[in-house]
Amino acid sequence: MSGTWMTTRAWLLMLPLLIIMLAVIGWPMIDTVRLSFTDAKLVGAAGNFVGFDNYLKMLGSSNFQRALWATTWFAVVSVTAEMVIGVLAALLLNQQFYGRTVLRALLILPWALPTVVNATLWRLIYNPEYGALNAVLTQIGLLDSYRSWLGEPGTAMTALIIADCWKNFPLVALITLAALQAVPRDITSASLVDGAGSFARFRFVILPYLAGPLMVALVLRTIEAFKVFDIIWVMTRGGPANSTRTLSILVYQEAFSFQRAGSGASLALVVTLIVTVLAIGYGMLVRRAAGSAA
Amino acid sequence: MSTLTINAIRKSYGAVETLKGIDIALESGEFLVLLGASGCGKSTLLNIIAGLAEPTSGDIRIGERSIVGVHPKDRDIAMVFQSYALYPNLTVHRNIGFGLEMRKVDKAERDRAVHETAKLLQIENLLDRKPGQLSGGQRQRVAIGRALVRNPKIFLFDEPLSNLDAKLRMEMRTELKRLHQMTRTTVVYVTHDQIEAMTLATRIAVMRNGRIEQLDTPEKIYNRPATLYVATFVGAPPMNLLAATAGEGGLQIDGSDIVVSVPGLESAAPGRRLVLGIRPEAIGKADGVLSLSARCEVAELTGPELVVTAMVGNQRIVAALPASTKLQAGDAIVLSADPAAFHVFDAQTEQRLN
Ligand SMILES: Nc1ncnc2c1ncn2[C@@H]1O[C@H](COP(=O)(O)OP(=O)(O)OP(=O)(O)O)[C@@H](O)[C@H]1O
Ligand SMILES: [Mg+2]
Repeated sequence: MSGTWMTTRAWLLMLPLLIIMLAVIGWPMIDTVRLSFTDAKLVGAAGNFVGFDNYLKMLGSSNFQRALWATTWFAVVSVTAEMVIGVLAALLLNQQFYGRTVLRALLILPWALPTVVNATLWRLIYNPEYGALNAVLTQIGLLDSYRSWLGEPGTAMTALIIADCWKNFPLVALITLAALQAVPRDITSASLVDGAGSFARFRFVILPYLAGPLMVALVLRTIEAFKVFDIIWVMTRGGPANSTRTLSILVYQEAFSFQRAGSGASLALVVTLIVTVLAIGYGMLVRRAAGSAA
Repeated sequence: MSTLTINAIRKSYGAVETLKGIDIALESGEFLVLLGASGCGKSTLLNIIAGLAEPTSGDIRIGERSIVGVHPKDRDIAMVFQSYALYPNLTVHRNIGFGLEMRKVDKAERDRAVHETAKLLQIENLLDRKPGQLSGGQRQRVAIGRALVRNPKIFLFDEPLSNLDAKLRMEMRTELKRLHQMTRTTVVYVTHDQIEAMTLATRIAVMRNGRIEQLDTPEKIYNRPATLYVATFVGAPPMNLLAATAGEGGLQIDGSDIVVSVPGLESAAPGRRLVLGIRPEAIGKADGVLSLSARCEVAELTGPELVVTAMVGNQRIVAALPASTKLQAGDAIVLSADPAAFHVFDAQTEQRLN
């Protein structure tokens, strides 16, 4: 069979899918680009062409800069913590001990919960009047009086990050646990005979086997963290005093709360661009990690 | 004083007893080969010596010191694994020096030792490569180098050659022998390849189902196997086993009227069921003491010899004859063997009688 026919047939077979994808992703995307150059409202007239006005205004606004900073902070801190805690949890769960199977099964629970449920759960924990955190901290004497963890700009972001970590570290742990199974027994045995302590064994013997999978986890989690919306929306709605207003929250507010479809669209496109750049950069990193591990 | 003393070692995994009481005493400089079929417990024993598994009961000493419960790194042993177990992300240089690095040997001293070892193994030109860039034989050398550089009391090898092709395996076998003759270190070497065992060992321990069947020099294992199992495990083509019965004038081969008197068998009670073992290479053509008339069934030329399968009475026998022998299927031949080379076993207990 000729190569061109194979290629033609491949395209033919993919055509229905391509059409659907263009319809549900491509068209809205193109329409968003169009919107971003207008001053359209969410409802009503189509709006006038305003060129790059939306972009220029937005990039110069302090709202955007603060949101970008909040997003970056949220992503960097929560993803770092998730990676560290996830790997440590996996190393622990990889040891032989009684009850390991049960713990491994329990590990997946936070991650399996819908984000909304998780967020509601943490709101209860942080509740200023009857929350468990206040109760525990006062009972062990670390706190004099109850605080509103989600109501104070100084603590809201940290509280959010903790909730996000709790939900997402199991993903990192599971990926690591799977990768640990791939470390050949002979190699860990050899390192024991060679006299490597636990740190050296992790650094030189085990980590190389984890590098590729961890890189994938890092990419997934960073991109997700940059797009974060639901957990924040349920817990703080971007408050207090906009201290937890990330880019996605800002897009939502701009487009739907303030009904400015045009500038909302331009903001959404900027977020998309940032995430795409991140994804491509990471993709290259992953390929490098995979190449050096082989 | 022995270098390695293994005393009544037992090992159970759950209800299954994998090692059922192993005793070995090894002198300094010995090359002990643990030989046995798959699953007989060779690796388990080696791992117990290395400290990678703990025995259920029994004692192991290196010199005077009991090493049960001692961490592998503190046992003064080095191990070469079947899979080589090189660290894939470290260079050959660091792979070899890793044990010294972990023991905080200073860099200059380490480099010197690595280079010396690499020179011995002729892998100096590979020192900057990663294991992924090496051939199987080169990896094998690196794995051996990693053990050698530490200069331990005892070397442990777990089937180190089984992943190599036949030619390379022979080369490395010779190489190992040369290294051992040069360094004179004590070695425990696991294999299920009887040629490797015969060529490398100063002593062989033939293992079966978690027990040692015979612990002896290669010559003794080959010439005076203590049990039927050892007799059949060592030698290729395998030893001929003929059913026989003890009688008045000696031993009678079942299904024929041949009676042989075998030295050392005079006391066997008449009627006792026996197994007569004759190695194919101990059978000649009509110049030995005992003559067996036989009919040739198959004649296979292997190169150096002609392997003949023939019928003696109603029992099949294999003989390795000189390649120049002219024989065809169906020919009647007279085979001969010297009763001094006979191995007689009790059919019941499988123990050697003569
Ligand atoms: N960790 C373990 N748990 C349970 N059983 C084990 C374990 N390790 C080994 N065994 C069992 O012990 C027996 C001996 O195993 P071992 O690895 O010592 O065999 P071996 O002689 O080295 O065989 P091979 O030539 O195939 O490597 C086998 O039946 C094996 O199934
Ligand atoms: Mg084995």
